[in-house]
Amino acid sequence: MARDNDTRTMIDRYTWWETVLIYLGIFVFLFFLLSPFIEGFLVSLKPLAQLFSSPYRFWPENGSFAAYVSMWESVPGFARYIFNSFLISTVATTLVLLLVVPAAYAFARFDFRGMGLVLAAFLAVSMFSGAVLLIPLFRLMRTLGLLNTYFAMIVPGVAFLIPSAIWLLRTYMMRIPTELNEAAYMDGASQFYTFRRVILPIAMPGIIVVAIVTFIGAYSQQFIFALTFNSKTEYMPLPVGLFAYFGKQEVIWNELMAASFVGIAPALIIIFFLQRHLVGGLTAGAIKQ
Amino acid sequence: MGQLSLKNVVKTFGMIEVVKGVNLDVSEGEFIVFVGPSGCGKSTLLRMIAGLEHTSAGDIVIDGKRVNDLAPVKRGIAMVFQSYALYPHMTVFENIAFPLRVEGASNDVIRQKVEKAAAILHLDQRLQQRPGQLSGGQRQRVAIGRAIVREPEIFLFDEPLSNLDASLRADMRIELTRLHKQLGATMIYVTHDQVEAMTMADRIVVLNAGHIAQVGAPLELYHKPDNTFVAGFIGNPRMNLLPVKCTGTSAAGVTVDFNGQSLTLPVTPRAGIEGASLLLGIRPEHIRLGAGDASMEIAPSVVERLGQQTIAYVTLPGQETDFFCVVLPGSQSVTVDAPVTVGLMAADCHLFDGDGKAFERRIDLKLLAATAA
Ligand SMILES: Nc1ncnc2c1ncn2[C@@H]1O[C@H](COP(=O)(O)OP(=O)(O)OP(=O)(O)O)[C@@H](O)[C@H]1O
Ligand SMILES: [Mg+2]
Repeated sequence: MARDNDTRTMIDRYTWWETVLIYLGIFVFLFFLLSPFIEGFLVSLKPLAQLFSSPYRFWPENGSFAAYVSMWESVPGFARYIFNSFLISTVATTLVLLLVVPAAYAFARFDFRGMGLVLAAFLAVSMFSGAVLLIPLFRLMRTLGLLNTYFAMIVPGVAFLIPSAIWLLRTYMMRIPTELNEAAYMDGASQFYTFRRVILPIAMPGIIVVAIVTFIGAYSQQFIFALTFNSKTEYMPLPVGLFAYFGKQEVIWNELMAASFVGIAPALIIIFFLQRHLVGGLTAGAIKQ
Repeated sequence: MGQLSLKNVVKTFGMIEVVKGVNLDVSEGEFIVFVGPSGCGKSTLLRMIAGLEHTSAGDIVIDGKRVNDLAPVKRGIAMVFQSYALYPHMTVFENIAFPLRVEGASNDVIRQKVEKAAAILHLDQRLQQRPGQLSGGQRQRVAIGRAIVREPEIFLFDEPLSNLDASLRADMRIELTRLHKQLGATMIYVTHDQVEAMTMADRIVVLNAGHIAQVGAPLELYHKPDNTFVAGFIGNPRMNLLPVKCTGTSAAGVTVDFNGQSLTLPVTPRAGIEGASLLLGIRPEHIRLGAGDASMEIAPSVVERLGQQTIAYVTLPGQETDFFCVVLPGSQSVTVDAPVTVGLMAADCHLFDGDGKAFERRIDLKLLAATAA
């Protein structure tokens, strides 16, 4: 007898036309999201001459990965730029997490005078466009003697990333039942022990999401700080490095695209590893619903 | 060990007084149940005993020592929460071992104690699973396991069975009673469920709006409720209360006018109640078909047949907001809107004054228990 081996619950089963609609929706969404990347990738495969041919051809002829080799020669310091970006983002993310995890826990669990005000201030600050603050920040960096150092790109980044990270993680931590704190307290656990052994493991998926969001944020916002607070080539991050492919006479488009893909690879690898630790439904069974 | 006294304990949240001066002595090894309507302060009182909630006034004394300012572990108390409060990322073993790990016990001691607790609670096969993989009853047992490994003098339970289904609840009830015998520890248990209260308790504490309405053994509360609140709260369906006029007192008790019939109730009279409006209480299960010391004619508006019993609800003239309820053996037939005569015996009746305070009934609880057995 035929046996239905489908382990999906009934609510996860769809009729054929629902399935078609769902995939159509996903396709349209992905097309809009990915088309620039697809074209960028195709450009990186084309010989430079073909890029300026008319009419424009979407698919490469004689496509090759030559640009991925030559890019390292056109801009000799490129590896350094990638390293800088990576370093700045990693250090910034680590600092943000070190500050935000305990802060978010405090905001989630303890009630103290002026908490609402502080949280509102965080929200307000995070709504400021970074550009508005560049000039005051420049003066601050100069006073602190941080101009032309890695810190000039890390510190403002951390400051801008903290508020939203706190909001995100606080919301996540507020969903952890307070009964768990009380149970641990009944059993004699200190606040710190409870935080480390109970709250932290349960909050881990939230912390990883915050880490990913922060890392991406740090990766993408660093160049504005780099251009403003740093003039040393050896500290420049990736986006600034990419400008080096804008030559005097021409833009080496295929190498620029190849370099962009190589440049985001480390970030993609980090994110890939982080998201593997995202375990959903970790609080299942903590309390009866 | 495990003796607890509450001395005029008060809890206020902001301006609101939630627990209003509770006095209670619990002796060692006793099983005490707190019952009362939702919001009456049961959980709050329990949490104060636990040390989770600060005591606004009064003293909590355990084994002769004031513990108001002591942390829960120092009080020798363990608590099982209304929601199980299990650690979702830990196995059953680690959940039960948690208090021992906090204490810094050695791995050998931990393994031995956890396995012992698991055996008592039939969790031996589940030790490597996570709470999310367990049924409600199993989760509850893990929560109890976490409480017993510390070998506390006093256990606190806050409605531990309220989310289990009826048959599982009955099983867990028996299991908890067995556990109480086995451990010999003092247990304080909060519940909504009358059956749990009546079957498990050595003594029941009935709370009403932050006050203790009455403390007593289950049958004492059933047969001698101090006031109309307890009379209505203990017993299901609730006791019928009928307004009556007092016509006189004598050595035999208090005579009232019931439906034009003179009925003398065997209760201790008080001076100056002649002519006063009183409340006569009669439990639905103490009303019978046919005549009694007094009788009345009723026409049931709703009849529920449960097989073992038949419950008839009647709307009495002048009491349209409340049902008069009669519980009859299932073999007896009553029909909706068909008038029948029911009777009640004076000895079964309760009598309350205008403030809802009971007149002392002249019954011997020991005798009642003996005839019931
Ligand atoms: N943290 C608090 N702040 C303010 N009021 C509170 C707080 N905790 C409880 N209360 C109030 O105290 C009263 C008693 O609450 P409690 O939880 O003790 O009731 P309960 O008897 O356990 O009820 P239930 O049977 O519904 O669990 C309620 O009116 C509740 O609103
Ligand atoms: Mg409660």
